[in-house]
Amino acid sequence: MGAFASGLTRTAQRFGGVVLIALLGAAAVFFALRAGQGDPALAALGDQATPEAVAAFRARWRLDDPLALQFGRWLAGAATGDFGASMVIASGEPIAQLIASRLPNTLFIGAYALALAISISLTAGVVAALRHGRFVDGAATSAAVLGISMPDFWLSYVLIYALALGLGLFPSYGFTAPSASFAGALYSGFLPALAIAAPMAAAFTRMLRTALLETLHRDHVRVARSLGHGERFVFVHHVFRNALIPYVTVIGLQVRYLLGGTVVVERIFGVNGLGSLMVDAAFARDYPLVQACALVFLVCVLIVNFAVDLVCAQLDPRRA
Amino acid sequence: MTHHLVSRRLMMQLTGGAAGASILPFGGARAQAQTLRAGIAGFGVINTLDPMKASLIPEYYIMYGVFNALLKFNSKMEIVGDLAESYKTIDDKTLELKLRRGVKFQDGGDFTADDVKFSIERVADEKNASPNRSKVTPISEVKIIDPHTVRIMTKDPYGPLLNYLTNTRTGTQIVSRAAVTSMGQEAFARRPVGTGRYMVKDWKANEGVELTGFAGAFEGAPRFMSVNCPLIAEESSGMTAILGNQIDLTSTAPFADVPTLEKRTDIRVLKQAGLNTRYIALNNKRAPFDDVHFRRAVSMAFDRDVLVKAVLFGEGVASPSILPPAHWLDGALAANPAVKFDPAAARAEFAKSKYKAGQEGVMLVWGSNWWRRFGEIFVGQVNQVLGVKLTIQAMDFNAALARTRAGDYDAMVMGWLGLVDPDEYIGEMLGSKGFRNIHHYASEKMDGLLARARTEIDPKKRTAIYREAETLALEEMPVLPCFTSNVHNLIRSNLTGFEQFAYANFGDQFGNMKPG
Amino acid sequence: MRGRLAAALANKLALFGGLITSLVALGVLAGPWLSPYSPTDADFLALLAPPSPAHPLGTDSFGRDVLTRILYGARVSFAVSVSGVLAAALIGTAAGLGAAWLGGLWSAIVMRVCDLLFSFPSFVLALFMMVVLGYGVANIAVAIALIYIPIFARLSRNMALLVRDEPYVQAAILIGQPTRSILMREILPNIAAPLFVQIALGVAFGIVIEAGLSFLGMGVQPPAPSLGAIMADGREYFSRAPWVLTLTGLAVSLALLGLNLLSDGIRDVMDPKLRAKL
Repeated sequence: MGAFASGLTRTAQRFGGVVLIALLGAAAVFFALRAGQGDPALAALGDQATPEAVAAFRARWRLDDPLALQFGRWLAGAATGDFGASMVIASGEPIAQLIASRLPNTLFIGAYALALAISISLTAGVVAALRHGRFVDGAATSAAVLGISMPDFWLSYVLIYALALGLGLFPSYGFTAPSASFAGALYSGFLPALAIAAPMAAAFTRMLRTALLETLHRDHVRVARSLGHGERFVFVHHVFRNALIPYVTVIGLQVRYLLGGTVVVERIFGVNGLGSLMVDAAFARDYPLVQACALVFLVCVLIVNFAVDLVCAQLDPRRA
Repeated sequence: MTHHLVSRRLMMQLTGGAAGASILPFGGARAQAQTLRAGIAGFGVINTLDPMKASLIPEYYIMYGVFNALLKFNSKMEIVGDLAESYKTIDDKTLELKLRRGVKFQDGGDFTADDVKFSIERVADEKNASPNRSKVTPISEVKIIDPHTVRIMTKDPYGPLLNYLTNTRTGTQIVSRAAVTSMGQEAFARRPVGTGRYMVKDWKANEGVELTGFAGAFEGAPRFMSVNCPLIAEESSGMTAILGNQIDLTSTAPFADVPTLEKRTDIRVLKQAGLNTRYIALNNKRAPFDDVHFRRAVSMAFDRDVLVKAVLFGEGVASPSILPPAHWLDGALAANPAVKFDPAAARAEFAKSKYKAGQEGVMLVWGSNWWRRFGEIFVGQVNQVLGVKLTIQAMDFNAALARTRAGDYDAMVMGWLGLVDPDEYIGEMLGSKGFRNIHHYASEKMDGLLARARTEIDPKKRTAIYREAETLALEEMPVLPCFTSNVHNLIRSNLTGFEQFAYANFGDQFGNMKPG
Repeated sequence: MRGRLAAALANKLALFGGLITSLVALGVLAGPWLSPYSPTDADFLALLAPPSPAHPLGTDSFGRDVLTRILYGARVSFAVSVSGVLAAALIGTAAGLGAAWLGGLWSAIVMRVCDLLFSFPSFVLALFMMVVLGYGVANIAVAIALIYIPIFARLSRNMALLVRDEPYVQAAILIGQPTRSILMREILPNIAAPLFVQIALGVAFGIVIEAGLSFLGMGVQPPAPSLGAIMADGREYFSRAPWVLTLTGLAVSLALLGLNLLSDGIRDVMDPKLRAKL
């Protein structure tokens, strides 16, 4: 009971930390954007906007209010899930609605990429560790290093020209939203997910292999073996379980690269996700939209890291 | 040059016909797909679908199919009636238009003279801050004679009037007064109501626009009742999309790929000399481009043909004027040394200027890679020939625009596409009050010529005045004209019916397209 | 037996990685003397020439030798990446050591700032910095530094906390050695290896970031070549001159391969206890 309560307090503290970071992040994005160059009025009204039209635009979006006041107003809205309306690229449309239509695509591609990376790395990592020093190990390790050496956008083009246009196996462009057709999303999302997953898979494989090799030689594994447990039992219950902790930790660490990778890959493959939305919003200086996208990205990373912490605590009660 | 333009189009029609015939046996396979997929490549954003507010070419790509204007261009680039059945000049300040009867708006409302009056007056209304306002300010009154007759009266004779009433980048497309009033401007901009063959079904910001055929259109119901227009931010992705059969039609094609695409059988490349201008904007109020000798020297210090070769991969022509060759009714502008690559002459002219070798200047570039190449090659050549130290600064378009508006720039790559009247080119770019004049160029002589041209309704005389203005521009060199690029569309070979125009049309052709 | 084989393999890999990295570094350093061509002067008579003895990797849209562009471009890319990562290593390590040693409020502030930087998807952070600060080499380095500061700060703090409990450090504290000297002489040398691994990895990823930004047209200012800028140009005429994008991409992969193998190698020969902490 006491342990449960302290666990709860810890969780609450961590949650408080998450909220604090989200707040700081929102503030940083807000003020940095306004300190930077560019003008949303020009993007919205075109290059021939009259000074009067610009003034009207600034008045409409209350861009001339003190910055602190603007931030307070935005934050108060954001706290209730109201991110305001897009100034430029979806003029007048509620941002919450835009994000609701875009985020699922990015999450789908992200989760898809993560699933691909995890399944590839679990197979390759385990095989490499069990066949340590043999040919399979060498092959898996080399593939992993190669994978990590291909920038995602470069891999994207290779995949498009080889698998989509060359062999005609996958669509060369476009993405079917999972809400429209889940199978369609799996099919059309495969290449973008793979482009993002390849470097991740490589990083995960290397980590899993190292961690497995290390635990294979630990004392408790030897003891378990000497007690006459079967190889399979020992591997699953003693080796694998222990190696999972650093593995899951690395997944948490890589999530920010994974979500970042969606930005370029979404553009190349025409996935209508949050990343491509944010790029165009940033080019158009659509302040509230950039802020909202950045905040959502931030929260995604925070949630994944939070979840990773929970999983690690579950796997290793000592760390809780 | 004009001859060239026409012959190109003719050729295109011939090849188009041939490809259509050869694909016939496969026509049936295509028939079940009733959605036309028309990708807008190179753009990720459109801001509005209200003609009054529109300023970006992708907005017009869609609006061309949603709206009609009073007039339009036919295949020979002659002005003919669109919503107007006929038009005649009453006197040199009055144009009378007979409107088509029985035309319905997409919401079922009737199209009448009142909608014409409303559509033009809202563009002219200062409060609406329309980017196209200057096109209609000379109009003093839109007078309704009867529900199907209007007179457009101007303060003075107005030369560009007919061009400015066409369904091009004019903003004078006809909207429904009832719809705008009941919906409000903001809602109308998202779900506009016109008389065109397509209605906006859904516009997803940053993704694309879905159109539905309008069965009651006066031009007839389209063959494809559903059209998807995805916004494809990367131009090269537009090409991979059509090659992979993910779309049927593109709004542009990457210049470099045109020759390889032309060899394919599954894709047809439509191309012709475009109505556009690509030039280098100069800040005439700031060193070093405040010196006419320096501007002239620079103009002779780079090779426009090299730009065409390396920037456009040959998909265009060098141009001595910001007025595209298609506008030269009098034939080509005489070869002028001021725009000819001549290092010796450039250095001689440079010696007359108040600047010396080593002079610095910053050139802003923005946009996709070919715009950068444009700036890079220009700067490289000029530096080499004159021994000056121009540098390049790349930024996004918004930042570059903010700099030019603040007058805080030396030079910038610039271009306009799809403008149909010389007044939009020379008038708006070089007139001291022209809204495309970011150059701080003000010349009384030029303003005088432009005003005369604007009030001249005889096309021949008007052309002659613009020729004078072009010659003056060659002397004072307020901007450096560089080249005109071809316009391209890629279309899958199993489709026919798309007729390309030099002003870069798009949505207006969806209704004519059919499989086979 | 297997362990030894592994060590040998690891060393061989490290050796191989080191070899590639040295070759790449040599090319980068000696680039100007290796090639007879200029990286920026155009040759409009040789636009998009395919690979030939005169131009082993062909020419680009300006008629410039692609190999020369890559050699010079790699210089720019490496310089940007190395300076960004080194700045991150310096700032991050200093902040992390400070956090470990001073604890309390300083530690809390440093770690929260790290959490914050760490919570932005990396490329989103880089792109955002470009939009706010403007395009250019220096700003890319700043973006790379911001991405890597939290990693170095966390790493150095955690390692320092581990090392602090070691007897020799405790002894140094007891005999009253000044803090500065403890940090510099006792702690830093003992946590240097993982920092070096991270630097090698960071440089590799920095190159990817630079390439990605330049690929979107937000990176290095023309006419300076960078690996990403060359690829961005090459993508535009890929079907006409596939060698520009393909061969530059392969060059990038080769450089990254060297760096990754090298960091793997260092990691493998390191104290195994520290390994898992990375």
